[in-house]
Amino acid sequence: MPSKSRTLLHFLLAVLLTSVLGAVLQTQFNLANLQALGAPIPLMVRLHTTGLDLLGFSPTFAVLVICGFVFALPLAVRLARNWPAGRWLVFALAGALAVWSALTLANALLPMPTLIAANRSLAGTAGLMASGSLGALLFAMLRRPVAPAQS
Amino acid sequence: MLKTSRALLLLGLLGSSLVHAMDYRIETVTSGLEHPWSLAFLPDGRMLVTERVGRLRIIEQDGSLNPQPVGGVPKGFVAAQAGLMEVMLDPDFASNQQLYLSYAYGTAEANNTRLAKACLVDGQLQDVQVLFSALPAKKGAAHYGGRMAFLPDNTLVLTLGDGFDWREQAQNTSNHLGKIVRLNRDGSIPKDNPLRGQAGVAEEIYSFGHRNVQGIVYDDQLKRLYSHEHGPRGGDELNLIEPGINYGWPLITYGIDYSGAQISPYTELPGLQQPLLHWTPSVAPSSLTQYRGALFPEWQGDLFASTLAERSVRRIRLHNGKLAGQEVLFEELGERIRDVRGGPDGALYLLTDNAKGRLLRVVPSQ
Repeated sequence: MPSKSRTLLHFLLAVLLTSVLGAVLQTQFNLANLQALGAPIPLMVRLHTTGLDLLGFSPTFAVLVICGFVFALPLAVRLARNWPAGRWLVFALAGALAVWSALTLANALLPMPTLIAANRSLAGTAGLMASGSLGALLFAMLRRPVAPAQS
Repeated sequence: MLKTSRALLLLGLLGSSLVHAMDYRIETVTSGLEHPWSLAFLPDGRMLVTERVGRLRIIEQDGSLNPQPVGGVPKGFVAAQAGLMEVMLDPDFASNQQLYLSYAYGTAEANNTRLAKACLVDGQLQDVQVLFSALPAKKGAAHYGGRMAFLPDNTLVLTLGDGFDWREQAQNTSNHLGKIVRLNRDGSIPKDNPLRGQAGVAEEIYSFGHRNVQGIVYDDQLKRLYSHEHGPRGGDELNLIEPGINYGWPLITYGIDYSGAQISPYTELPGLQQPLLHWTPSVAPSSLTQYRGALFPEWQGDLFASTLAERSVRRIRLHNGKLAGQEVLFEELGERIRDVRGGPDGALYLLTDNAKGRLLRVVPSQ
């Protein structure tokens, strides 16, 4: 059984991975929209903007991810215990649904119609949900039951 | 020596702010207005006020609020930022009793801004005609623009918003999202509109690349059209509006998204107009007027922008048509200011934006 501090560390690493991936995706979706309008986006501009979003946007996204993961990951742990064969699928779905639920709740509660610009399109929303899946899968991988050592 | 200079400077600044604090007095004219949005002065001394919830009210000469709302107001879509917005009198109102209303139309799933004209007869609107409906009708209840101004040729300009979720559409000249449009008084499209005759464009467009324009005023002395618009987090802008010009949203902006994300890596790009000034952090400018009254000679010709986030009115000083500094006024109220107008009596009038909104009059303290 992992210690509480190890579980917390795994949880935070899952949040970190999801937040970083979400921020990178948000930037690329946004820059694609600007390119479609005719804006030049050379590599250095893309990298600089991505860096700014990692600093400026990922903390906001991380709050949403925490709100989703704090419910979804413990639930996924329980479900995976009862269905070991579906463990990876359970965590992938839990991560995706956690992000989707957090985005939906934020949009319902906050004054602006859509908090995160990438969430305005189906592809963007799917990308953010996939970030949640990968974060949850990292959590599952870090908590993977260790096979007993053979003597 | 340096210390003395600093002390004198401090005293000077202190004295200056004290003078400003004593320069004016703020009186409550009317209270009990539900999210008042716009004010118009009738020739007989009464006033019209819109309430965003869909009511048009009359304030009598003595400041009392007529308990009976004006009848016949077209039913609009009311939610969040949507509702009844501006009321503006026709330049010939004294003879034709015509006025213009902007409001949100549609449903939560499909809505936008609409302009209607009507006659005010005995406290009722008659002959209501829809002159213009912004398209496409989109989902959500944010960013409608809704301010109007007459140009000297008696065409009118109506400001619109990008609908929040459709910011890229501000660059698409085939629709009305994120545009300022110009119309004749009967709703027809003026023959000299800048994009008229181009294939596939919305010919009502006067300028584009805007986010949510909630202030517009024509300076009839310098023949200039000024507007301001809400930026996101930062990047509120004051613009000099010229026909056919692209003001850049969202390709260029001095703001970032509410989530902290970048909206654009650029604040400038070729072919996109720069603002006269930008407010970062945001003040949330909600209306714009130019003071031409007699009570405050030092304010003559200056622009006044009411603000929601800063809870103030920004006095934008103009000197020979050039920006000459700003002053933050009426912060002591601590209230969101939705509208600022110069009254026929020379006073400055303010509408406070809340469920128990007030009409305030600013007059010299002496």
